[in-house]
Amino acid sequence: MEPWNLQPARDTGLTPSERFRSVRRESGLLENIAHQVCFLLLRSYFAIAHRLTIMGREKLPAHGPFVLAANHCSHLDALALGTALTRRYRERAFPIAAGDVFFQSTVTSTFSAIMLNALPMWRKNCGPHALADLRQKLQEERAIFIIFPEGGRSRNGSMMPFKHGLGMLVAETNVPVVPCGLVGTFEALPPHQNFPRPVSVKLVIGDALEFASIANDRTGWSQIAATVESCVRDLVAQSRTA
Amino acid sequence: MSQVTRERLFGFRHAFDDRVTVVLTLVALVLFLLAPVLILVVTRAAKSTSDKKKELWDRYRSWIWLALFILIPILAGAFWTILAVATLSSLSYREYARITGLFRERTISLIVVIGILFITFAALDNWYRLFVALFPLTVALIATGGLIPDQPKGYIQRVGLGVLGFALFGSALGHLGYMANDWNYRPILLLIIFAVELNDIFAYICGHLFGHRKFVPNTSPNKTVGGALGAIALTTPLFAIGAHFVWFGTALDTPVRLVGLGIIVSVVGQFGDLMLSSIKRDLGLKDTAKLIPGHGGILDRFDSLILVAPAVFHYVNYFVGFAVGQPQQIFSG
Repeated sequence: MEPWNLQPARDTGLTPSERFRSVRRESGLLENIAHQVCFLLLRSYFAIAHRLTIMGREKLPAHGPFVLAANHCSHLDALALGTALTRRYRERAFPIAAGDVFFQSTVTSTFSAIMLNALPMWRKNCGPHALADLRQKLQEERAIFIIFPEGGRSRNGSMMPFKHGLGMLVAETNVPVVPCGLVGTFEALPPHQNFPRPVSVKLVIGDALEFASIANDRTGWSQIAATVESCVRDLVAQSRTA
Repeated sequence: MSQVTRERLFGFRHAFDDRVTVVLTLVALVLFLLAPVLILVVTRAAKSTSDKKKELWDRYRSWIWLALFILIPILAGAFWTILAVATLSSLSYREYARITGLFRERTISLIVVIGILFITFAALDNWYRLFVALFPLTVALIATGGLIPDQPKGYIQRVGLGVLGFALFGSALGHLGYMANDWNYRPILLLIIFAVELNDIFAYICGHLFGHRKFVPNTSPNKTVGGALGAIALTTPLFAIGAHFVWFGTALDTPVRLVGLGIIVSVVGQFGDLMLSSIKRDLGLKDTAKLIPGHGGILDRFDSLILVAPAVFHYVNYFVGFAVGQPQQIFSG
């Protein structure tokens, strides 16, 4: 017989509100059902309101861990990327969201955790340990992260340079990074608007990149950021012409 | 649905029909009014640290909420009582599944939750035969559900954990809900919950006063033989007197049988406490969760009730019976 190896949930000992904000959070049965329902609704929404077309879905790795990295100019971005993942990926998919927007109050953090399965990234006062925790979670739980390496929504729709954080997650690991290009979300819901407009949205998924041989240091991180950034730029240009 | 059933399920006007309900509600009220004074006196006299003081006040505040969550459904009607027990079962199972890691086995967790929902339906419906049938049927379903991943490695573990979870939180705790089918369920439930919680407190106090010899040092180092015996000596007569008024003039109303019931409540209540201590110690945890300030998790608070529910149910059922004369299969019949 297998030796007994009981592992309590990683978030054991946290109060409910601490748990929603924690990177250690592990979803239970009800939360999983909520994620699946939310995902189903979003899928129909994007199909009807934005006639979402996804190209290159076959390039997604067969299972986690991997990171989806895309350009960012709208709140719709993470949701659109989420719908690109089929049901079997969904359970392990975590959009990495800005802590100061999605996890500030108990109400928003409850919503972000229960409906979107999001994890917080604090843009101010975030030490290196925050990224180390995420890096560990990615590998141990074979997770799928949805990441926007620009570090915020572009206010004019043009891409901003990628930050190092992405490199800190994947340097010296076999975790693939899948670059994604999104077009149309800025026109549908730019940062200065509150309600989306029915504009069609296109998502192009590129070939997965691996950075096992890139050093886990500052130069390595910039190299990773630059590589992924140029891939995403190409994909965005490609989807505009396609 | 007959008038009698409707009155039992939703008839809050009958809340204080029984003297024992009135007395227990009043006692609870008085305790809540006196407790702040007691806490103030004790913390002053013992020159407690601010941490200790905060813990006591946290506990007190949490107890007010817990008492409301217990009292209001019981007084409001059998329907709300059964729903409250179903909530307690689900939350307890959730904590258990999270600390043992069983929650990662989605199929088995889903089957246990469905089992709890069916138990709740059987209780609401007053369908005893379904209530009894659900234990073996759910166990069979868990054993089948464990096959779904097609991974024999770890099969015994996940099925074993699932069966234990359903046995404790679905089936055993479910008996508490089923008791609400008795016309006179209010004093019965209040008396059991009161006695079980007091039993914990008696064991704690007696342990401090006469506790020298350790009881089960590996399982729970703070428990003493003195505490355990003291709790039995205090809880048994209190429960027996209450039970005398609740089951007045029935076959249960003889001194020997009443004392027997009191001993069962006290002894089995302490076993429930030790059971959870063993589970936690096996996992290397102090508390099952951090949900109730000053107490820990739901399980940390209600552990003693889990094993008492079926023990009392079947003892009373043997002599008197539950839900005598109440219409059966209310919804499904």
